[in-house]
Amino acid sequence: MNSKKSTKFRLFPSGVKSAPDFFRGYFVYLALTALIIFFSLASPYFLTAQNLFNIGRQTTAVSIIAVGMTFVIINAQIDLSVGSVFALSGMTSALVMQYVNNFWLLGALAAIAVGVVIGFINGWVTVKLGVPSFLVTLGTLGIARGIALIITDTKPVLISNPAYFQLFGDSSFLGIPIAVIWTLVIVIAGFIVLHKTTFGLRVFATGGNPQAARFTGINTHRTIIASFMIVGALAGLASLQFTAIARAARPDLAAGLELDVIAAVILGGVSLFGGRGTIVGALAGSLIIGVMNNGLVLLGVSSSFQEIIKGIIIIAAVSLGKKK
Amino acid sequence: MKRSKSIAVSLAAISALLLAGCSSPGTEASSSTDSKAIVLDAASLTPNGIIGKGKNGEEPASVDALQLTDEEKAKVKAGKFTAAIAMQTMDIDWSRLTLKGIQDTFDSLGIKVVGVTDAKFDVQQQIADLENLITKKPDVIISIPVDDVATAEAYKKVSAAGIKLIFIHMPASGLKYPADYQAVVAPDNQGNGEIAAAALSKYIPENGVAGIVDFAVDFYTTNQRTLRVKNWFSENRPDVKIKEVGFTDTTAVGPITANFVTANPDVNGLFIIWDSPAMQSVAALRSAGVTLPITTIDLGTEDAVDMAGDGYIKAVGAQRPYDQGVAEALAAANALLGKKVPAWVALPAVAVTPGNLLESYKSIFGTEVPKEIVDACNTSGICGK
Repeated sequence: MNSKKSTKFRLFPSGVKSAPDFFRGYFVYLALTALIIFFSLASPYFLTAQNLFNIGRQTTAVSIIAVGMTFVIINAQIDLSVGSVFALSGMTSALVMQYVNNFWLLGALAAIAVGVVIGFINGWVTVKLGVPSFLVTLGTLGIARGIALIITDTKPVLISNPAYFQLFGDSSFLGIPIAVIWTLVIVIAGFIVLHKTTFGLRVFATGGNPQAARFTGINTHRTIIASFMIVGALAGLASLQFTAIARAARPDLAAGLELDVIAAVILGGVSLFGGRGTIVGALAGSLIIGVMNNGLVLLGVSSSFQEIIKGIIIIAAVSLGKKK
Repeated sequence: MKRSKSIAVSLAAISALLLAGCSSPGTEASSSTDSKAIVLDAASLTPNGIIGKGKNGEEPASVDALQLTDEEKAKVKAGKFTAAIAMQTMDIDWSRLTLKGIQDTFDSLGIKVVGVTDAKFDVQQQIADLENLITKKPDVIISIPVDDVATAEAYKKVSAAGIKLIFIHMPASGLKYPADYQAVVAPDNQGNGEIAAAALSKYIPENGVAGIVDFAVDFYTTNQRTLRVKNWFSENRPDVKIKEVGFTDTTAVGPITANFVTANPDVNGLFIIWDSPAMQSVAALRSAGVTLPITTIDLGTEDAVDMAGDGYIKAVGAQRPYDQGVAEALAAANALLGKKVPAWVALPAVAVTPGNLLESYKSIFGTEVPKEIVDACNTSGICGK
């Protein structure tokens, strides 16, 4: 019963019973609000439309991939390969478009397919061969990056398709940049799948107590593989936004992106031990990182100090928000 | 019910952050100078001779000092010398072109290359690479240090093993010329800085503001570039105010530049320390709807396409990596003959503007100009003018 209680349709990380409990459960939102208030008071440029859209665009990749990573981590797994998958997917999309007469749809589908395939390999090796996902994805991190470097002899590949630029990078809808719209669509879709479908229930059950989940008839292997495929697909999708804005794919893109994604998800209250977490929390975690990156530059803080401050805020936010 | 209310409130708060801009007008930074009207002349941007000095204050020597007579060439061939090359990375065009210049020259002089290593910017790897190359006992090693301090001891082992040592760009710290190493061959980084500054200056109105996006790590090559940009402005445009922002993560520069420009809407143009950060910044600024003239250092395909298309990049101070490789190999041959090579041999900086982009690309890369650049030129119509 306990495991069921902690796995069902939960948006926030803990039951809210007392004031300190409330504080911990909502800490990520309080921290985000506090940062927004602080930077709004400290810099006249923070709360401008242009700047808020800057933050929205700058957090697109981390936010979109964090949605997928939430599934993986709630499953008590981890995916370190997303930065490399991001680079390889972007490269694939650019190369496919060069070969198929600039047909953007095929390029975009190829990018997502690369992510899905690597996600499947990550999940399959993890559950069928019993290799910890930390090691499997550390391996695919190197493999995907190596392939991205080899297929173009380390050179960037230029993209020249205006429709691709419009759809994934440049345009805006009702004044909102398309990258921000993509983020919102993925967050809403991820929210529905994780919190409103039986698949989501299975993800929580598998991460919370895999044995109990198996006894109740859940195919935990399939659930884990599907979660890896979701994060892979989203890494592929996120790479489309980036390559559309940059007008090129580079094999050295997004090295270390996986750490920002994992930090965002953990900041958002998703438990590294599985069974607990929310999509909205992960988005808030991503925005905390984005707001910090943005606000510290607006204040003119030197880049070395920025790293220290970001590190302190991340540790403080996770430890204060941690469930006892 | 209580929970769903909290969900709604939290979603609304986050959406509000993402969407807050809908109703308020955007603030856009833009150049107050009409960039369309400006035509840059590469010849007038090119510095007169070599501007900078060596890392230890050495006066620059010209590549002419390295030329060999026919008799000396014959002596080198008869010596049946061997060489090894320890690079910091092989992932960039610069490395491939430098290596090709070295290799072609060694081939013509009958010097056999017995090993080429790629340290992938990893100090430990480069130390291991150097130790491995020493065991092959080449007569000379040409190398660029990943880190001039951390690798110094490994380079001392090279000279202790009786192997001649030629540095690319900068010597390792604490090594003595000519006992420990025989020459440094480098581009004129200050000269490149001068080209970028002089070109950027054309876009900065009187009493305007120039922004510098700098690598915030103490690195000799980039320090030299930024130093000259600042000095050039203080000597020639004292009316211009300089504002700076630094980055340490070389793959995440775009957001930093976009945020810097947001916080400093008075910036009229940017100098960005090399081409990859510059192109990351171009992407971030384009997506933020901000247009600013940018100058940078090092010619690559991406910045060339942007320049050809009348985009953000207005001028580039370029190195000539192939010629640098040729000079490295000639310095090594001189050292092998026992001749004293100048401590610091510098190659002049090359100013690349839309006017000379196509021929500069061809001569620097030694290949045909890629179709993307030609297409961009044809569309914009600014190349060759």
